[in-house]
Parts: sequence; structure tokens; C-alpha cells
Amino acid sequence: MVRIKNRYIAVQIVPYAPTKVLYLNDNTLTKCLLRNIEKYYGVYGLGMIEQGFRVKYINERTKIAIIRCMHAGHRFVSSILPLITLIGDVRAKFRTLYIGATIIQCNKFIIKHQKKFLDREMGQLTSAKERQDLFKRVMEFDMDR
Amino acid sequence: MEQTRPFYDFCIPFNKDDKVMRALLNELVELGYKTIAIDQSFDHSRKEAGKRGSEMFPEPHKVEHLRKEFGDKLRILQRITILYVDVNVAHAMSVSLNLRKFNLIAGQPKTDAALTHCCTTFNGDLVTFDPAAGSRLMVNRKAYQVAVRRGMFFEIKYGPAIADSNNRKDMIKVAHNYGIKGKSRNIIFSSGAEHQFQLRGPYDVANLAFIFGLSEDQGKNAVDRHCRQLFLRAESRRLGKTIMFVKGGGPIVFSDSSDDNQGDSQDDEMEGCPKEEELDEESDGANGENNEEEENKPANKRLKTA
Repeated sequence: MVRIKNRYIAVQIVPYAPTKVLYLNDNTLTKCLLRNIEKYYGVYGLGMIEQGFRVKYINERTKIAIIRCMHAGHRFVSSILPLITLIGDVRAKFRTLYIGATIIQCNKFIIKHQKKFLDREMGQLTSAKERQDLFKRVMEFDMDR
Repeated sequence: MEQTRPFYDFCIPFNKDDKVMRALLNELVELGYKTIAIDQSFDHSRKEAGKRGSEMFPEPHKVEHLRKEFGDKLRILQRITILYVDVNVAHAMSVSLNLRKFNLIAGQPKTDAALTHCCTTFNGDLVTFDPAAGSRLMVNRKAYQVAVRRGMFFEIKYGPAIADSNNRKDMIKVAHNYGIKGKSRNIIFSSGAEHQFQLRGPYDVANLAFIFGLSEDQGKNAVDRHCRQLFLRAESRRLGKTIMFVKGGGPIVFSDSSDDNQGDSQDDEMEGCPKEEELDEESDGANGENNEEEENKPANKRLKTA
């Protein structure tokens, strides 16, 4: 069976100054990434990855995003992620969590990652209400984009 | 074998301010590094002419409190970077006692002659490159291959490359030079980050290999396996030829008796005690027979305390 090969890159956005909510949408993120690819690899790099490039998911609270790109040029994308220090107008850096071939695997990894994060944070909270809030906030997923 | 865990970052510049240091180390733990080296640099070319003492290298900075604080999460090593211009440094290094207190020794040559010396005869483990000086120094093929055969490693710092685009260009140039001259063998990545914002996770760093002209495998090894090899090499340089060494938890009493029976019983005692016995590899290769020797002749082992 022949099919189109994609790569899904799960990244976490770490802002310079710790903030709770990140004001970013998928459009800004896409623009920022494409601009940076043009900066580092020029028109050739942009042409290699522009087809099929898309930000599939971005969560403002947990600051996690999934980027889809074609298999052929995915190293152009993954190699410039560490060099970016400005996303939109926020000073932030990327942290690659996982690179997978299907979005389901990416999803699984993110859920595992978030559970680990929850385990660490839950111990510091006292009231049950706060815990429920945190749980909702961290585990929220809607993949309808 | 001395245990270390991946991933490695062998260049965290020392900062006098404990708060900055702590923030850096916390970020490193968060990103998943397990073994790091705190770097202090020493300029050999700026020595005073009158001072001809045996000791010209500084004492390592005190990091005991940091070590205690991060105990299990992070293994902190110490490294010195020696900036030098001529081969006189070799003599000073051979008589220095302070140098043995460092885990890693890196050389940062400033001239072409020094660079060749650094690759061929320098008694250290790592050749580094000064990002501020630009890319005038290029290693030549012969020296690079000698260095690879000797097990020296070459360092690429990504911290300054993130901050400044000129620097990035120089770093890419140097890294590709390693690729041209000898297929990018023996290369490690380290951060050299002054601020925790310049630090990147190990997988990000491995991805940087793409722009530095390394293959995917080499990139991964540059933060993992090569660093381990470098550490073992440095350790064997510090301890000399060693088959194994015993690390003591408390005070160790050696008996002088030459009686064989008593010697054996002492060995048994040592094994009964809750002490770590660790086998130190000479280097990456040429240690297969050492392992067997150790099993066959337990009485033959040399005890060293570390």
C-alpha cells in the first residue's frame, strides 16, 4: 500500500517569563515557523516543506502544539526549532517532545507526558476543587482542527 | 565501571552567583540531562613572567553544596578549559597537582601551532573552539586524524550560536570543516549557555546535527555515547592504568600483611561491605581481556580509593 508519509512533531513552547496562558493561535505559529524556515534555508527550504505543512493542534494553557509536515523535509523543520527565540511577539523557545509518524502516537505520548506533569503538580495542591480544575486544564484535548 | 547516565552536557560556565547557577541546573534537570560539567576557563598565555612556581592552574571552584543539593538528579563534574598560544603549557600541565582535581581537561588553542599541538600531543580530552575569535582557526586533516586516533573529542557549542547569527555562521563553518576533514568523527555537542533560556533539550540538540552537517546517528551520539566515551577517557587519564577500583563509603583500613590467606579474607570482607565495586574501562576499546582477568584472578586486583 502506498500512502503519503507525514511526520508529526509534538513541541512544547516554553516562554521566557513563566506565564499561565499563551496568546497564540495556529495561524501565528505557522507564520512564525515558515518565516524562520525561509530565514535559515531560503526559498529552497520553504518549497520543500510548504506543501502539507500545518499546525494541527495548539493548546494555550498546556502550551503544547503538534506540527504536521511531509516526511521529505521534516528535518528542515526539526533542525531550526532550537534556533527560534521569538514566537509571534512572545520571547519563547521550543522544546521537542516527540516526533511520530501518526497523530495517534503523538496523542498517546502527549497524554503520557501530561500525566507525568500532573503527578508532580498534584502533590502541591490541597483542595479537591483546585485538583479538579488542574486536571481539566491539563488533560483537555480537542482535535477538531 | 563508573556509572553515568545520559544525557550529557559538558559545558556549563561557572557563575559566582548561586541563584543563576541554581536556575541553570534546575532547567537542566527539567530538560532531562543527567550528567553535566561545570566549566571554568584559564588563560595560560596571560601568566606572569616572574612566577615560576610549580602551580599555575587554579583550584576548582567549590561546588560541593550544589552537588549535595542535586545529589541524585544530576551528576556534576568539573572541567577546566585552558586557553593557550604555545607548547609551554605541556610542562606546566605535567607538574600541576591542581589539574588532577578536575574531571575533564579541555584545550582551547589560539594559534595554528597550538591547534596542531592540541590535536597531537596535548594531555587533555577535549578540543574546543572560541566562538568570539571567529573561524580563523581550521583544523587540518592530518591533525584531526591523529586526534581521532588518540581518542580526543571536538566540542561544538550551541549556546552562543543560538544567541547571535554571526556566531552561528562561524559554528556552522567549523562544524562543516570537521565534516570535510574527517567525516565528523568524535564530536560532542555542549551548551556553553550563560542563561537558562539558551539551554535546549537533548533531542533538540540532536536535531541541530542537521545544520552542523552530521548524520542523525552522529547527532544522537554527540549528546550521548561520545560523551560517555569522553568521560571514560578522562577518568582513565586521571587514574592511570586501572583494572578496577573500589569506592569506599567510610574510612578504609589497609593491612600491610603479606600473608596470602589473610589477603584473601580481606578481599572477602571488602565484598561483604556495602561498598560499590566499579570496573573502570581503559577507554572504549581494548578492555575485553581486562574484564576476564578480573573474574579469573580476584586476588590480583589493585585497590584504589576514589
